[in-house]
Amino acid sequence: MRMGRYLVPLAFLIVWQGIASSGIIPEYKLPSPAAVMAAFGELIMTGMPPGHKLPSHLLMSLYRVALGFFIAAAVAVPLGILMGWSRRLQYLISPLVEMVRPVPPLAWIPLSILWFGIGIKSAAFIIFLGAFFPMLLNTIAGVQSIPKILLEAARTLGADQGNLLMKVLLPGALPSIFLGLRIGLGIGWMTLVAAEFTGVKSGYGLGYMIMTARDIQRSDEIIAGMVVIGLTGLLIDALIRKAEAKLLPWQ
Amino acid sequence: MTKRTKAKGVEKMTNRKPAVMGLAIIFMLALFLGNAWAANPVRIGFLQADIHQLSCWVALEKGFYKEQGLDVKVAGIFKAGPEEMSAFAAGELDMGYVGEAPATTAVANGAARVQVLAQVNTEGSAIMVGKDAKIAKVSELANKSVAVPGHSTVQDFLVRKSLEQNKVPADKVKIIVVKPPEMIGALRTNQIDAFIAWEPYPAKAQTMGVGKVLVTSAHIWPGHPCCVLVVDDKFLKARPADAMKMVAAHVKATNFINQHPKEALKIGVKYTGMDPDTVRLAMHNVNYTYKISVEGEREYVSLLARQGFIKIKDVDAFVAHFLNGKILEAVLGK
Amino acid sequence: MGLELKGLTKTFPAQGNGDEVEVLSGFNLKLDHGRFLSLVGPSGCGKTTLLRIIAGLEPASRGEVLLDGAPLRPSTTETGLVFQQYALFPWRTALQNIEMGLQFKGVDVEQRRREAMEYVEAFGLMGFEHRYPKDLSGGMQQRVAIARTLIMQPKLVLMDEPFGSLDSQTRNNMQEFLLGIWEKRRDTIIFVTHNVDEAVFLSEEVLVLSRRPARILAKFPVEAPRPRDRTSAENNQLRKVVLDVLRSEGPPPPV
Repeated sequence: MRMGRYLVPLAFLIVWQGIASSGIIPEYKLPSPAAVMAAFGELIMTGMPPGHKLPSHLLMSLYRVALGFFIAAAVAVPLGILMGWSRRLQYLISPLVEMVRPVPPLAWIPLSILWFGIGIKSAAFIIFLGAFFPMLLNTIAGVQSIPKILLEAARTLGADQGNLLMKVLLPGALPSIFLGLRIGLGIGWMTLVAAEFTGVKSGYGLGYMIMTARDIQRSDEIIAGMVVIGLTGLLIDALIRKAEAKLLPWQ
Repeated sequence: MTKRTKAKGVEKMTNRKPAVMGLAIIFMLALFLGNAWAANPVRIGFLQADIHQLSCWVALEKGFYKEQGLDVKVAGIFKAGPEEMSAFAAGELDMGYVGEAPATTAVANGAARVQVLAQVNTEGSAIMVGKDAKIAKVSELANKSVAVPGHSTVQDFLVRKSLEQNKVPADKVKIIVVKPPEMIGALRTNQIDAFIAWEPYPAKAQTMGVGKVLVTSAHIWPGHPCCVLVVDDKFLKARPADAMKMVAAHVKATNFINQHPKEALKIGVKYTGMDPDTVRLAMHNVNYTYKISVEGEREYVSLLARQGFIKIKDVDAFVAHFLNGKILEAVLGK
Repeated sequence: MGLELKGLTKTFPAQGNGDEVEVLSGFNLKLDHGRFLSLVGPSGCGKTTLLRIIAGLEPASRGEVLLDGAPLRPSTTETGLVFQQYALFPWRTALQNIEMGLQFKGVDVEQRRREAMEYVEAFGLMGFEHRYPKDLSGGMQQRVAIARTLIMQPKLVLMDEPFGSLDSQTRNNMQEFLLGIWEKRRDTIIFVTHNVDEAVFLSEEVLVLSRRPARILAKFPVEAPRPRDRTSAENNQLRKVVLDVLRSEGPPPPV
């Protein structure tokens, strides 16, 4: 049954190669899987821009996303717990949150450049915006979904406010918090290419690599870059799921 | 559409169909004729606020295209050359004013099929540093950051050439991509140590008191070709007469700039949105000419290949096909 | 001295189109230490509210709750509450659930571990102490819940239909289990239930409550010898009497 999982992607590759080989669509518009593989090799050996190799781009992007992600988590989770716990706080802050949330992170790019310049802070900020809202909303939901009876049981066992917060609300909300983290990281990773449009002082980053490939019209390298982004995102998600299974054995 | 009228218990059908169809046909004929009379539009593109491409704006404002019987439509205004070349690749443009380097790269990498029909300008860029920067020579750019409008643009090329000339290894300098409108702000806030862009951005940095010239492109490579007028291969094949008319209008506009600089200045101010002093300063740094430089193109191809952006085996064959001087000859012959 | 409820009144504010609901009206009760008391009554009569007030989860509108002469504070561990739905913390193992109250109290890890393991053994949970609630049967979960409450040595144990979610076989077993525990410890227990059989089987005294607002309709001491026999004639007789009183209250009003 494990083979069944690869059936659809394999079929997709075959169809893609077929279309590309037939020549219906010109090479530069739709490079074949073979061309993309070759481009992938080039990105690793020569790099794009030449001299800037793929592994370095990947590491830099991971670093940026990690930064944006951790800051988002550090703000969203505590805030989410507080907002989930206090109806009044939620009532006060929600309107602001709901107004900012629909604005796509990309729309913030001009402001981001003004505030943070064209370096890692700017990119991390855009990624932060992408990751923050799902984390916040899922944390609030997690806290609010804890059955009241558990809080009452804790109180009858002599829990004070601190105990309730740390020993009931937090662990009880953890599954939802994890879900928020996973979604937030996914969105953060997705915003990566756009975030790196704000400028990469260091000259490294997957988004920057793709932009450069685009500047010199190398569609094959663009697609290879996209594949790397997709696979990396998949891997990161799988890692988080693994961590979740370890940390939340009661699920 | 039929309308039924009842007359004495008998249904009578008054047929309106022919009338409506007749009207539609006349309408469509009118459209078609009107279009044909005005000719199919020629879709052109140029770079935003790039004073190099003044001849395009002059041709538009002074009606030189119309004179030739051309209906020119501006199908795109681009932030940098590579973006305009993407538009060519997507089939969005028939002709365009664009940097020679990005055009070369696009063709060499098989993305676009265009040919150069005429030069648009030579020189006209400068490497700018902060007004109070301690950088006096290009060699002092080592370990600094320089912004270019995009990879494989003319300006990117010029920086690398300048570094080569001053024996600074390119990897010692951080060359980063910033869109020209954002360069001055980045320089002012010290996020970059230098930038190179087409005029009037260097001029503007000066008049704003933000930057000073480190070296002009004329000093890096005297007479280097910069922007060119390119045509999509398909358009050239289908409408060679219109392509020739475009070149003719361009020649007239270029002559106009050199003969009536004051009026040209006004048009430059209108299209860049910058003040007259800045535009005047910018125009001084630019050489408006339509003569195609073959040596210049050879140099571009060599450097781009050396940098690893393109792979060309037969440089001469490439240059011979890419530069199409026949149309210009024909226009000048007249 | 024991527990004393004086003039306990609880009114819930009007919801939607309804009126205020008075659930308790001047309820009085005295209970000595070490006694096992059952409260039976029709649904909605207020018996659960009564327990929650004593446990400190809800404030009374009027009246007092005194334990040994002093008013009870909320979140006190002098009372313990066992819920019908077990209310075990799903992210904690059986053992960790049991020691939770001790953890709140600040007892150090080793000591509370030791104490909790004693209860694990006494409550027949050996081998299951590291399981999560989702992997425990209903009966085991309730045993964990009871252990978690009893380990705090509360002066008053409140049980709100604790066996209501169990099938009748498990229920009978749990009743016997509870009696076994109680006979050794002699906690003071107020046991709320629908089930007259259960009340009669377990307690020393059965209080029958009216429809809301709850009043004490009748008190029945249960003098049957222990260990109790479910099927004895006395047992049946008493059940019948209690049921009659309940029936005379008529069907409960629509909620």
